[in-house]
Amino acid sequence: MSLVSKIDKPILIGLGFIVLILAVGTVYTLSTQGTAVFLSPNYLMQQLHVGAFLGITAAGMMMVILLGHIDLSVPWTLAAGAMLATAIGGPLGALTCIGVGLTVGLVNGLGVAFLRVPSMIFTLGVNTVLLGLMVMLTGGHAPQSAATDLMLFLGRDRTLGIPHSVIVWALVSLTLVFVLTRTPLGRYMYAIGNQEAAAYLSGVRTRLVIVAAFVMCSLCAVIAGLALGGYSARAYQAMGDAYLLPSIAAVVLGGTNILGGQGRYAGTVVGALIIVLLQSVLSVMQMEEAFRQVIYGAVIIGMLLIYSRGRIVNA
Amino acid sequence: MLDGGPAAPVGGADLVMRGISKSYGGVHALSDVDFASRAGSIHAVLGENGAGKSTLIKIISGVVQPDRGTMSLGGNPVRFASPLEANAAGIVCIFQELSLMPDLSVADNIAITDPPRTRLGLIDGRAQRRQAEALLARVGCEDIDPRERVRDLPLSRRQMVEIAKALGRHPRILILDEATSALTGSDVEKVYAILHQLRDEGLSLLYISHRMHEIEELADTCSVFRNGRHIETFKKGDHSDDEIVQLMIGRDWSNVFPPKPARTSPPEPVLTARGLTWPPALRDISLSVGRGEIVGVGGLDGQGQRELLLALFGVLRGVAGTVSIGGKPVKIHSPASAKSPEIGMALIPEDRKTEGLMLPMGVADNITMAALPWLTKHLVVDRSAEAEKIKEMVARMQIKVSDLDAPVATLSGGNQQKVVIAKWLLTGARIILLNDPTRGIDVGTKQEIYQLLRSLAAEGAAILFYTTDYDELIGCCDRVLIFYDGRVVRELSGESLTETNIIASSLNLQPGEIPTGAVQ
Repeated sequence: MSLVSKIDKPILIGLGFIVLILAVGTVYTLSTQGTAVFLSPNYLMQQLHVGAFLGITAAGMMMVILLGHIDLSVPWTLAAGAMLATAIGGPLGALTCIGVGLTVGLVNGLGVAFLRVPSMIFTLGVNTVLLGLMVMLTGGHAPQSAATDLMLFLGRDRTLGIPHSVIVWALVSLTLVFVLTRTPLGRYMYAIGNQEAAAYLSGVRTRLVIVAAFVMCSLCAVIAGLALGGYSARAYQAMGDAYLLPSIAAVVLGGTNILGGQGRYAGTVVGALIIVLLQSVLSVMQMEEAFRQVIYGAVIIGMLLIYSRGRIVNA
Repeated sequence: MLDGGPAAPVGGADLVMRGISKSYGGVHALSDVDFASRAGSIHAVLGENGAGKSTLIKIISGVVQPDRGTMSLGGNPVRFASPLEANAAGIVCIFQELSLMPDLSVADNIAITDPPRTRLGLIDGRAQRRQAEALLARVGCEDIDPRERVRDLPLSRRQMVEIAKALGRHPRILILDEATSALTGSDVEKVYAILHQLRDEGLSLLYISHRMHEIEELADTCSVFRNGRHIETFKKGDHSDDEIVQLMIGRDWSNVFPPKPARTSPPEPVLTARGLTWPPALRDISLSVGRGEIVGVGGLDGQGQRELLLALFGVLRGVAGTVSIGGKPVKIHSPASAKSPEIGMALIPEDRKTEGLMLPMGVADNITMAALPWLTKHLVVDRSAEAEKIKEMVARMQIKVSDLDAPVATLSGGNQQKVVIAKWLLTGARIILLNDPTRGIDVGTKQEIYQLLRSLAAEGAAILFYTTDYDELIGCCDRVLIFYDGRVVRELSGESLTETNIIASSLNLQPGEIPTGAVQ
């Protein structure tokens, strides 16, 4: 597929950059501590574990970015799902959490596809509404209840040393790759991202495709919420805030065009790994927080510059 | 431009190109082209789309660089790395697509690249206005107010502003790329006059146009290009129109249109519409298209023809009236329902780049975009069936493509349009609506499309064909409906299907009432 081979380059650059981050970090630890902690299986598995939450969120985000849209309601969709899951507890809590994802996705999709509100505005509004609703429900305090067994199972537990959240990430990934490459829905998503009018005039039910993408995005957010709640053993209000911009960055670092239509799923995985490793290595190197932010931002800009130089110009 | 007024051009220069080659990917846009244009002449560059005309212009104006070959200007070898460099050497282009900023004033636009400054470095509005006035006067448009917004000018006047702007840049070589296609009425005369005057002042003018009569009126010399090669350069009058067309297409220009089948009885109606109304564009339109019939839709542009096609295809909301397929009333509320097997309708849209194709996506993905639901088993695309269908279509439509996954943007206009048509043939549509499908397509592909339409009709399709080209209405259609102000004012067929009748009805006149000058 041309769309795929064309975008291989960002993925290769991304993989190269991952190696570079690990190499620089290792040189640093070898010279200061005499150990190569960044290359130990334990450390790498730990990074995958932490990266899974970002990876799952970014996977969902990619579905809407492919259409040329964006979902800014991800932070509070994630938080609301996790908070309701812990507040209600048990299997019903988990079902409620999935229900939150479905509902928010439907509302976003309907607003964007049928009411034609720009997604940036609409989802920002939905995010604020969710925030308000959760504050009302919890009375402004963090809920007392701890993560449910299912959440702990998904977010904290391991089997044969592999964190379950990594397995969840892998399952979500396989599903989305299948949707993107094998189903008409996936084909239509690329088509809409490239030229919505042409897709519509080809008899594609474009509005349903848009709704489906927003539902996928919100479902990913609440799944990430369940796992993250398990990992931190509780759900709290700001738990999703740290995932909005990094998830968008992961998608774009992975080579997906922010205007939609182009991008390969593997890139998003690579993008999430870059962000997680970069943050981790910078903090181990005991860099000041402010300086870390500067490097983090500079890396994102720098990598995008590298990609865009080589990208085929769309006539 | 220190004096704020238009200085006389510094005089023209001979442009000589030797052995120029340029390829994009594996496609040779120009192969080993020798080309020369003299100072003090108007040189027409002719050829089909894809013949290499635009690449030639792009090389001269520094937009692209040739792979091989040399270029000299007034005897000095030149090489332009950018349009800016070409500009500085006195090469100025006027393009078909207007390059004006609609929300800026006429004067702002004319001075956009190099506005006169005050001593503080700010834009000197007064000097800029004087400069614009002088340039507009030069092209005979004293009546355009330099303070007016370009958006508020009619298209033809904008084109005049464009020409004034070009003159402000002191061209030695002036290139006009279809720059007169938007001109109407007296502006045409003005432009001809100014172009002749510029030639007499010694400029070298390169003129690209598809309109034979313009070439006859303007050009001194003509060069014909075909398939990236320079075929012949000759003086005006050395070849007849027919010979020129033959040079352009490389074969005999006859039998362009396939013969129309003789009909003994009226065909059974496939698509019938009664009282379609969508004010103000459509007013009570009734029509019927029969099995095996090609029904033309004509009239001046913008009389409701496009809306008719969109209404039938389920794109417009709130259309009153009824549509029946094969005698059964149907409701078509979206393109998705229009393409369903019960209805079997297809629309080849007006603008293939924004409505017909996803340009960055592959040829293959574009071909199956509409028929994907029928190539899907258990929610999964059946890739082997898909690949087979794509192969069939590429062969049937003779789409020239080396890599089926290459972005469709890399294809020529004619091949792109074939992809759009292939996409709809794959759905097995029985009713085919076409919205000006041959616009901007080379003569060879046009001919292929006419033949395809006729053979589809022979297989039983019902075809509704909107075109702005009279020859197509006459040559390709069994019957023609002429639109005027949202109504069908006349139906022409057989003996009455003539250019005179089409023009008369388009103006809503009775035959014999044609005002002189309306026929071009």
